[in-house]
Amino acid sequence: MRLELGSFPVRTIAFGPATRWADGRLTVDKAAALAEVRRDARIASADLEVAAPGESVRIWPVRDVIEPRIKVDGPGQCYPAICGRDVATVGQGRTHRLSGMGVVEVSSVNWHDSGGDFVETYLDMAGPFAAMYPYQRLQLLCLVVEPDPALSDESRNDAVHKAALAVSDHVARATISLTPPERETFELGPCDPALPRVVYIWGVHSPQAMSGSLTAFCTATYGLTQLTAPWLLHPNEIVDGALTGPYRTAFAMSWTVANNPLFLDLCRRHGRDWSFLGVIVLRTEWTTQHEKQMIANQTAKTAKMLGAQGAVVTWDAGGNEFIEVVRTIQACERLGVKTVFLTSEDDATDGAPTMLEPLPEADAIVSTSFFKNVTLGVADPPPVRRVIGLDRKVIHRGSGVGLHGGADSALPTSGTLPPPWRYDDHYGFGTLSCIE
Amino acid sequence: MISAIYTFAMTTGANRVVRGARIEHVCGDPSLGSEKDYAYGMRIVGTALQALTVAVPGPTLFDPQAEETPEAVHAS
Repeated sequence: MRLELGSFPVRTIAFGPATRWADGRLTVDKAAALAEVRRDARIASADLEVAAPGESVRIWPVRDVIEPRIKVDGPGQCYPAICGRDVATVGQGRTHRLSGMGVVEVSSVNWHDSGGDFVETYLDMAGPFAAMYPYQRLQLLCLVVEPDPALSDESRNDAVHKAALAVSDHVARATISLTPPERETFELGPCDPALPRVVYIWGVHSPQAMSGSLTAFCTATYGLTQLTAPWLLHPNEIVDGALTGPYRTAFAMSWTVANNPLFLDLCRRHGRDWSFLGVIVLRTEWTTQHEKQMIANQTAKTAKMLGAQGAVVTWDAGGNEFIEVVRTIQACERLGVKTVFLTSEDDATDGAPTMLEPLPEADAIVSTSFFKNVTLGVADPPPVRRVIGLDRKVIHRGSGVGLHGGADSALPTSGTLPPPWRYDDHYGFGTLSCIE
Repeated sequence: MISAIYTFAMTTGANRVVRGARIEHVCGDPSLGSEKDYAYGMRIVGTALQALTVAVPGPTLFDPQAEETPEAVHAS
């Protein structure tokens, strides 16, 4: 499986008479892009705005940031199967991407109505809060979109994400007949058998248990979010977006999945520093001890069957999902597969461990600092000049666990706001780590 | 402590741990129907009360499902 990824760097975005890319300048035909969004009768309102790094602008509510990618040659469609897209297996041929930019899905639609999983993320394009996220360095094309409020939760989720993908497709299409200024080939070619063999075990939250639905919206594997057995993917499939979509933290976005530095390093150093065998997607939030242990055993077994000597493990959630993740690490180690775990930490209140279940087998851990902004002591971001999206934000003060409890109030989005309560750098974009 | 994720309760130092059903419904199982759900819940609570009467040397698991058939264990 061979995939060529052509990159078209975007240094500015402006609206204009036709959508085109030239020399780092992306021009967007706003009316044409919005016409594609409005083709879906479920969309009630839609508008496009641009935000650039350094601007005094705040974007709220941010559901997702998507990197525009499109198939130029080879089967299927980028970001396959989600929102009714083509289900063909991706990862071959040629894909074009608009690098250095993101399509932002700005909408009040919540993931689902249970379990306290609210859309909480807002983005600032300037200031110290902005510097904590990778998006502040991107040119952002923001789709402010609301669906028919009468639709079900799942239908509204599907509608607004499909709309953001329509904008992503629209701008990416401008590159199809162009020659990419940067190219990179992804291929797990044969390599020196003496190199260590590694897999990437990529934990992804499933909303199934919390929402009670098999089809609730979340980060999806070929469109599926339900609890499934460990799923083996070729890295090229992920480059083409087979794993995509947002979840509740700013680091669980389509853009961060597509640009996961740990994943890209595993691909790029294949054949030089190690032999990369593939990605095992581990769905998390099983809800009995036996299920958690079984899925840990099966994930480790799959790694072993692939011939792995080592595994790198990440996850994108918190709480009880730690159990299947850390037990996967334990099961791998017991089968002789050495593990490295990249994770954020919980707060160490009253001397409690910063890992829910500290097992001795998890002895090689890279910390990306604390899970919560409150533990990190992030200051309230100051007022901004411009707001993209909703002009008020409901906040929940006086609660030690963020959203769950405390007094609610709605503040002007443009004023001083508390940061979203979750930070949680899942893939190591930032430079924060633990306090020794 | 009644917990669906009982090993976690044990590794973090709870002395008497009773195996609960699922995270969504620790003390019962609505899929069984109201009568069986109630009986199942009573068995969990009964096991918990029984556990309080037993001296334990350290974290110990009490399993209300231990005497059930495998089918009943998997019914949740």
